Amino acid sequence: MTVIDANPAPKAYVDRRQARSAWSLTAPALALMVLILLVPVLVALVLSFSNYSLGNSGFDWVGTQNYERLFTRSTYEKMFIATFTYVVTVVPISVGLGLGAALLVHSLGRIGDIYKTIYFLPVMATLLAMAIAWEFMLHPTIGMVNRTLEGACGTWFEAVPFFANGCAEGFPLWLGDRDYAIWVVCFIGIWQGFGFNMVLYLAGLTSVHRELYHAAEMDGAKSAWERFRLVTWPALGPTTVFVVTISCIRAFQVFDTIEAFWPQGGGPNKSAYVMMFAIFEKGIQQNLIGIGSAITMLFLLFVMFLTLIQRWLVERKVHY
Amino acid sequence: MTRDWWKHMVLILGTIIVLAPFYMMVSYSFKSPGEIDQGVGGFFGRQEQMIDPRCVALRQPDRADIEAARDRFAGQDDSGVQAALLAETEAACSMRPVVFNYSKAFTEAPLMRYLLNGVIVTVSIFLIQIVVALPAAYALAKLKFWGREAVFGLVLFCLLIPVHAIALPLYIMLAKLGLTNTYAALVVPWTISVFGIFLMRQFFMTVPDDLIDAARMDGMSELAIVWRVMLPTAIPALLAFAIFSIVAHWNDYFWPRIVVTGNRDLFTPPLGLREFKGDGDGSFFGPMMATATVIVTPLIVAFLIAQRRFIEGITLSGMK
Repeated sequence: MTVIDANPAPKAYVDRRQARSAWSLTAPALALMVLILLVPVLVALVLSFSNYSLGNSGFDWVGTQNYERLFTRSTYEKMFIATFTYVVTVVPISVGLGLGAALLVHSLGRIGDIYKTIYFLPVMATLLAMAIAWEFMLHPTIGMVNRTLEGACGTWFEAVPFFANGCAEGFPLWLGDRDYAIWVVCFIGIWQGFGFNMVLYLAGLTSVHRELYHAAEMDGAKSAWERFRLVTWPALGPTTVFVVTISCIRAFQVFDTIEAFWPQGGGPNKSAYVMMFAIFEKGIQQNLIGIGSAITMLFLLFVMFLTLIQRWLVERKVHY
Repeated sequence: MTRDWWKHMVLILGTIIVLAPFYMMVSYSFKSPGEIDQGVGGFFGRQEQMIDPRCVALRQPDRADIEAARDRFAGQDDSGVQAALLAETEAACSMRPVVFNYSKAFTEAPLMRYLLNGVIVTVSIFLIQIVVALPAAYALAKLKFWGREAVFGLVLFCLLIPVHAIALPLYIMLAKLGLTNTYAALVVPWTISVFGIFLMRQFFMTVPDDLIDAARMDGMSELAIVWRVMLPTAIPALLAFAIFSIVAHWNDYFWPRIVVTGNRDLFTPPLGLREFKGDGDGSFFGPMMATATVIVTPLIVAFLIAQRRFIEGITLSGMK
C-alpha cells in the first residue's frame, strides 16, 4: 500500500511510456490494415456507384445502375447460378468426404496415417498445375479418363445407360460440354479440398474423450451408428462449424481451375462463370470497374455474412 | 485387419482418385510425344532415343556447312555430304524423352527465373508479414494502452476480408501508383497478415509476464523485447505460420495473374506454367508436364519430409 502511495508518478510514467511504445509497435500494422484492407473496401463501395474506367479522366455517378444490372442481366444470372451450384455442391460433399475419411483413418490407427498423407497431397500441390493435369486426364480423345471408360466397353458395364451411350456415340467432352463443365470443376474442387477438411476433423476426433463412448455404450448405444450420432457428431460440432465456413469461403473464391480451363468466357455457354472470374473479366480485362466493384461488394457481403454466422455459432458454443 | 478390410478398400479407392492426376503428370513428363498420343509405354515410357524435330530444323546444313565438311567426307559428292551431315545432326538432336521433356521445360521458357521469382516473392512476403505482425501482436497481447480493445476489434473485423475479394480495388490503387508489373505489386497486398497478428497474439498471451518484466529490468526497449525475447519463444508458432504463408503464396495464381501482364521477368511459377500452356501445341504435353512437376515438387517433397509440421501449418486457421 505504502509502496504505491510513495511512487505514483513513476507508475503513471511507466504506463505512459508503455502506451507510447505500444502505439509505435502497432503503427505499421495499423497503417497497412487501413491502407490495404479497409481503404479498398471503401474504394470498391464508392466505385460501385460509378462508371469509372482506368485511363479515363472523369466518371459519372450512375446510382444503383450497376447493382440493377447484376440482378437483371442474364450473364449475371448465370454467374450466380454457377457460383451457388459450385458452393452448394462442393461444400457438403467435401465436408462429408472429409468427415468420412477422418472417421475411417482414425479407426485404423497408425496404418491410417499413410492415407492421411496421400489425401493431403492435393491441398499442398499448386492448384493451377493440377488443373492442367486434370485437363489432360479429361482430354476427350487421349485423356486417361475416357480411355479408361472405353476400356469398359463390351463388358457388362454396357448395361448402364451412361456406358451404352458413351460406347456408341463417344464419351463426354467433359470440359467442352456445358452439361458437364461445372460438375467437372466441382469435382476438382472436392478433390482438392476434402483432405484439408479431413485433417481438421482428425484433429477434432483426437479430442473426443474415450469415456464418452463407454458411457454411451452403458446407456445402450450398441451400434456404431448410435455411438456416432450420440457422441462423435455432437463432439465435432465446433469443428463442423469451422470446416463448413472455411470450405464455403474457399469455394466462393474458386478461380484457378476456371481460368485454366477457359481463359475466355468462363466455360461453355458461361456455365462455369463464377464470381471471382467475373470480377477478373469485367473489372480487370474489360476495365468495367463499376460493375466489377459491384460484384466485389456482393462477394464481400456473402463472405462476411458467412463468417459472422460462424462466429455467432462458435460463441454459442454449439453442441447440436 | 480382417475386420477392417472394407475400410482399406474404400480408402484405397480414394487413393487411386487422389493420386491419378499426380501419376499422370509425372508419367507424361517421362514420355515421348508419340507415347502420350497413343497412351502406351506404362509409367516411365520406353525411353527410346527420339529425335527433336525442332532441333533438326534449326540445324539444317546449308551450303557453307557442306563446303566446310567436304574434307571430312572425302570422295563424296554434295548430296552425299549433306546426307552425312544430316545424319550427324539427327544423332546430335536425339535424346531420351525424359531428357527432352525436362530440358525443354527449362529452355523453352525461363523456368529458372520463374522459380527464382517464386522464391523471392514468397520469402519477402513472409519476412515482411513477420516484421509487421510480431510487434503488433506483442503490443496487443502484453502492453496495456488506451485503444487496445479498438485495435484488436479492428483486427477481428479485418479477418473478415479476404484479400482476393478486394483484388479489384487493390489493383486500381496499384495501377494509379504505377506499380503494376513490379515485384512490389506482387508483395505489397500480402504484407499485412491480420491472421498472423491474431495468431501470434494468441500465442504471446501464453508467454509468462515474468519473462518480459525481467527483460525490462535489464533495460531492454519494448522493440528489443519483441525480437530478442518474444521471437525465440514463438519459433514453433512462427514455423507453422511460415508454412501456411509460403504454401499459400507459392501456389497463388489469382493475384499474380492480375498484376503481372506480359512481363515474363516477373512471372511466378504458376504464371509461367500458364504461359506454357497458352502457346504450346500437342507435342508440348511432355515438357509442360515436366514444368508442372518441377513447380509442384518442392512443396510436396518438403511436405513428405516434415508432414506433421506442414499439416499443423496449413490447418493453422483451424486454431481460430
